[in-house]
Formats: sequence, C-alpha cells, structure tokens
Amino acid sequence: MDDQPVMMFRDVVKVYPLPAGDVTALDRVSFQVERGEFISVMGPSGSGKSTLLNLMGCLDTPTSGDIYISGTRTGDMSDSELTNLRRDRIGFIFQYFNLFPLLNTLENVIFPMMLKSQRAVDPAKGRAVLRSVQLDDELFTHTPMELSGGQQQRVAIARALINDPDILLCDEPTGNLDSKTGAGIMELMTELNRNGTTIIMVTHDPNNARYSQRIIKIADGRIVT
Amino acid sequence: MIFWEIAKRNIRLHLLRSTLAMLGIVIGVVAIASMGILGNSMVLAVSDSLRTVGDSVIVTPHVGGGSARGFGGGMGGGPSALTITEQNFQQIQRASVPNVAIPILQTSDRMTLGVGKDDIVATIYGMNPDDVPDLLKLREGGYSRANSGCLVGSKFADDNNIKVGSRITIGAEGDKGTLRVTGIIEERGMAFDVSTDSAVVATRDWFDNAYNRDDYDKVVVKVKNLDDLASVKTAIENQMNKRDKIVDVLDTRKTMETIFAAFGQITTFVSAIGGISMIVAGVSILNIMMMSVTERIKEIGIMRSIGAQRKEVMSMFLYEAVILGVVGSLIGGALSLLGGYAISSMMLQTTKYLFVPSSLVNIVYGVSFGIVVCLICGIYPAWRAANLSPIDALRHE
Repeated sequence: MDDQPVMMFRDVVKVYPLPAGDVTALDRVSFQVERGEFISVMGPSGSGKSTLLNLMGCLDTPTSGDIYISGTRTGDMSDSELTNLRRDRIGFIFQYFNLFPLLNTLENVIFPMMLKSQRAVDPAKGRAVLRSVQLDDELFTHTPMELSGGQQQRVAIARALINDPDILLCDEPTGNLDSKTGAGIMELMTELNRNGTTIIMVTHDPNNARYSQRIIKIADGRIVT
Repeated sequence: MIFWEIAKRNIRLHLLRSTLAMLGIVIGVVAIASMGILGNSMVLAVSDSLRTVGDSVIVTPHVGGGSARGFGGGMGGGPSALTITEQNFQQIQRASVPNVAIPILQTSDRMTLGVGKDDIVATIYGMNPDDVPDLLKLREGGYSRANSGCLVGSKFADDNNIKVGSRITIGAEGDKGTLRVTGIIEERGMAFDVSTDSAVVATRDWFDNAYNRDDYDKVVVKVKNLDDLASVKTAIENQMNKRDKIVDVLDTRKTMETIFAAFGQITTFVSAIGGISMIVAGVSILNIMMMSVTERIKEIGIMRSIGAQRKEVMSMFLYEAVILGVVGSLIGGALSLLGGYAISSMMLQTTKYLFVPSSLVNIVYGVSFGIVVCLICGIYPAWRAANLSPIDALRHE
C-alpha cells in the first residue's frame, strides 16, 4: 500500500443543484499526492478550494469521478465507512483550532484514539505527541480556553496526528494566528513533513505556501497549474 | 466512555438550566408516585375495614319488589321492613350447605348505660349464641350464652366507658330489661353483614322476647372456601327467587372487588393527572436538549469530521437526557416517599400503608416513567444532532 499515491483524484466533478441552476464547483479535477509530499492548494475565493478540501477529507462525495485514499476508492463507501476512513487515515487541522471546550488538552488529543479503540486508552501516547508539537507538560490539563491561539493550534495538530494518519489536511492553519506564531506553526508542520507526514494545506497566504514542495492552483473549479 | 464524560460535563456547565429541567421531572415523579401511594393506601385501608366480611354471602329481603310472599313484613306486617321467615331461613340454610348460615335480627332502641347517665340510641343485634363466634371476635371478655348477657362493639365501649361487667338497660323506660356486658368485640370497621363497632349484640331469644319477633332481618352465610362464593350465591338465588324475586343476595367479595376496581380507577385517574405534569417536564427536557444541540452544532461537526459515528453523537445527547432523567427521577422518588407520608398522614391519619410493596411500587413506576419520558424526549434532539451534515455543522457559527 505504501507505493500507492496517498491521495488520487480522477476526473472529479462536483455540482451543487440550486434553484437558480446547477453550480459546478469542481470540473474534472485530477491530481495525485505522493506519500511524504507537502502540497499547498491556493486559489481565490469561490474557486472551489473548500469543495476540494471537503472531498479530500471525505466529508462530501463527488457528483462524478473517483477519489482514492491510499488506494481505497471512496465512492462506494457508506457514511459509516467514510467516518472510519476519516478517523484512521486523515488528520484535520482547522483555521479556528476547533478543540472541544469541555475536554482538557490531553483529552482533546486522545479523543480520536478513543473513537478508534472504543474504550479507555493509555494517555501516554497523547502526552508524547503533545511533547512532539512542543507543548509544555503543565498545559496538558488546561482547557482550550486557557491556552493561547498558537498553543491551541499545536494541540489541534497533536490531535490530528494521534491516530498516525496517512495525510494531514490543513485549512488555513495560521489564518487565526499572528505572523510570528503562524511562522512557528509552519515550522512545526515542515518538521512533521520532514519526518514523513504527508500534508495538504489550503491557504491564501503565499508566505505559507513557500513551506510546501508543490502548489496546486485552482480557479473556477479547475486546476490551473 | 468519553461521550458519557462529555454529557456529564455539559450538564455541569449548564447547571442552572439542567437543574430547572430536572425540577420538572422531580415534580412529575412526585405527582405520579404520591398519588399512586395515596390511592393504594386508600384501597388497603378500605380492604382492612372490609376484610372480615370478604367471605360472606348476605341475604336480605328484596326491596322494591311487588311480591313478598312468604315474608313476614309483606304479609300484614304494617310499616315495618320486610323480614325473612324461619321457613325462608331453612331454605337458605339448605341451599348453603355445607356452609354456616347465620340468621340475624336487628333493631335500634334507646338504652341507659348507668345510673344518672343520659339515654342513647344504638343498634341492637340478635344472634344465636352458637353463631356468634363464627362471626365476631372479641377484644376482651367472653361470649355469652345466657339471655341476660350481651356483647358490645369496641367503639361503643370506648365512647361510653363500658367495661366487661357493665350493665345496659334497654328500652325507653327500661322495659326491655337489663343486659350485662360479657365481652367487647374487636373493631370490624365497615361491614356488609353486621356493623358492631357501635352496637350491642344480644342473644336471639332475648331479642325475640324483647321485641316479639320470630323472623329475621338478614342471613349471613359464611363461606368456608372462597371459591364457592359465587356458587353459594347462585344456589340461594335459585332456591329463593324461583318465581318472584324475594331476596337480594350479595356476594361480599364481588362487591369488594367492585369497590377496589373503583378505587383503582380513581388511583389511575389521579396518577394520570400526575402524568400530565410529567409530560410537561418531558417537553422541558426536549426544549433544553434542542438548545444543547443548537449550541453545539459546530462541535458536532468537528466530532463527525475527526471520526465520530452518527450513533456516537446520538449517544452523547441521549446520555444527557438519561442523566437528567435518572437524577431527576431518583430525587423525585425520594421526595415521593416524603410526599406519600405527608398525604397519608393528613388524609388517612395513618402511614402504615406506606411501606408496603404495593405502595412502594408506585415510586418504582414514577421513577421508571420519569426516565422513559426523558429518554423519549431526548431521542429527537439526539437524532437531529447525529444526522447533521458534517460540512454544514462545521460551517455553523
């Protein structure tokens, strides 16, 4: 499975039926992502970036075409199978961190582990991953509200990594951080990629895109480079 | 599991809101269980009062019938009530074999309970001395076989300070003679056969002489095997009412069943009123669960996107409903015991019927109903949360 592209889109079309007429958000998009790549997806508003991100994250299904995650075709999967695929193979990093306010730092990180194991889990791995994203131990029992934006995003990255996903999907990961903190997050992601993590990042920011090895530009629902 | 923990924490986070919702459940459970306890206590209280006569068939002259052939009162007996003749009694006795048929005479008269005391009016029963032990149990003293002796009811004795050995002069001018009290009858409460609590029981011979009677007011058949009650009743009716209806035959157990059924309906009715408050509480639970879902749409979207299944999201909200239901219902159950105690004390002047299984089971019903209502009211919000589109939920602000 390791020699398979970690993600492959083949003639993917996504059409939203609206009362005023169908809107084609993605039009025959094809690309593939190899294991260990760090890719940025860029494009203006309305170009189809969010639709592409939703399809890559298996949160949505294409109108036509095929999507493969590590060689597995997602088109025929049920909602439950897609959910398990997201849990086991994909890590999500959001612009607004999206941590659970009722859980502390460590609980937020091991939450996907609990979903996977369906029972209480050893938090040791959670602590190790939190340390790997350079979060101090004393913050492990803090709630998200007690953390800075940069710290919250590090927790979110740790949560995304906890189940050893094939791919990290990042949606404007520094969009809600100041430039210095954002640079720190980008350094962290570069480090993760250097250690073998495949990253696809949707961003508006050319400075962030510089950290990636390849840029996919999208306009009017089509890949232009 | 983590979803159980999240449900608990969310309730703690919105403690006031959750407490108010639980308060509704508490009130609902208390209303249902307390009313159930009260109804059951009333049934038990009446049952206790009637228990001693639940094994009898009571035969009385038919009231309201045109013909009273063979009955003393109907054959020129003037304005007095219809009565049962000796011949009729023999027929009843034959129809009742092998059970004991007890003929009973009854009247009311003035009586004096001691020198210098005012006259009172009380019921006087006349019974064969041999039959009395079959029908009446004594609190103190002994049965009397002599015509000069009598028994008195417990309330009669207590109210008038009568003791064994006291004398009672019967008749307006004492013309019926004086009787010596030989025994005091155990309290019997309400009864279909003889209500002796405030009465005097004399011998039949004394009664015949004093009131010049040779017939009876009623016949009580004590049925040995309760399963035979209906057949004894039918046998008497077939024997006595062949051509005309001349006696009314009352199966006391059947009558008690009717009374208990009526009490059961009353209990059901008042419990149903309590049930309405529970439904209102359920709507309140539904409301706060919907609020909880609406407030947490984004959180649901995040959970779904990182791998939570629909059923796991659903379970999280159902746990919340169950926690509210279980805690509210258990508190309500505990308060029901206090409520039942208070209501029983006030309305029945006793709490001895509270700690019996048939009363306590109402608390179990109330608590169970509370939990089930909460669970049902949590299902729709939980289902709605579970079926949100992850994309729409993530976009929600």
